[in-house]
Amino acid sequence: MRLEKCWFCSSTVYPGHGIQFVRNDAKIFRFCRSKCHKNFKMKRNPRKVKWTKAYRRLHGKDMTQDSTFEFERKRNRPERYDRNLAEDVLKAIPKIDKIRVSREEKHHKNRMKGNKAKLLKEAVKELEQGISLVKAPSVLEKDPSLTLPKIKVQVSQQQAEENHPMEE
Amino acid sequence: MGGKCPHRSVKKRRYSHKTARRTKFLVKGDDMVYDELKKPDEERKALPLDEDLPGMGQYYCLHCDRYFPNVAVRDDHFKTKRHKKRVKQMMGPAPHTQLDAELAAGMGMPDNGPKLMSI
Repeated sequence: MRLEKCWFCSSTVYPGHGIQFVRNDAKIFRFCRSKCHKNFKMKRNPRKVKWTKAYRRLHGKDMTQDSTFEFERKRNRPERYDRNLAEDVLKAIPKIDKIRVSREEKHHKNRMKGNKAKLLKEAVKELEQGISLVKAPSVLEKDPSLTLPKIKVQVSQQQAEENHPMEE
Repeated sequence: MGGKCPHRSVKKRRYSHKTARRTKFLVKGDDMVYDELKKPDEERKALPLDEDLPGMGQYYCLHCDRYFPNVAVRDDHFKTKRHKKRVKQMMGPAPHTQLDAELAAGMGMPDNGPKLMSI
């Protein structure tokens, strides 16, 4: 059983799924679902469509260079069945998968490193600029209890919560 | 491409895009044109005479995969925005292929085994 990859989004195409287009020069284009097929028919470039793997790879969203990518390959040669080898492979698969997932998590963490500080900075700036909308400047002058740092903590927390879904 | 629909007042919408849509899959794919352009000049065959094509198939634009009735029309085409865009696109990186898709999916290069014959 050969698991093919979708031409457009690079997801796995299982037997019986998707559609394939054979061009008149015998080149095969496989698609995992009609979404990918339609995008191909619209002549879209997968490198410019944000939800494809090709885009994510090209723009550093996903891990690119890793030794765990060496295992899954298209093998264009017959392999003699060996029971021991098959057992070893089956044992190795979950291990390798675990390593890859942890590395991907690390990559994601690294990528999101500066985000929190940036969000905080933006929130502080917004607060400084927009405090007059909440309290008039004259009131703020009269009442010294309404100093910036006290409110800043509250609003910045709210901001962080609001922006949370955007991080993903 | 596209004929005129004289009743529309907006200039952009005055053109029908029916023919363009009809011939969408008759034109070559980007990767085919790219490969053709990559070839050295000697390998390219001389254009064969074909009476079904405009201008007996002698005036051809390689980038856009189009035939023209004579030299003047073809040279006019070379000056168009569409052609220039296409040339620029073809000068850029190679079009997306199945191999790119597989690499992006986290697969290695295909393994074809050892070479059976030397040379």
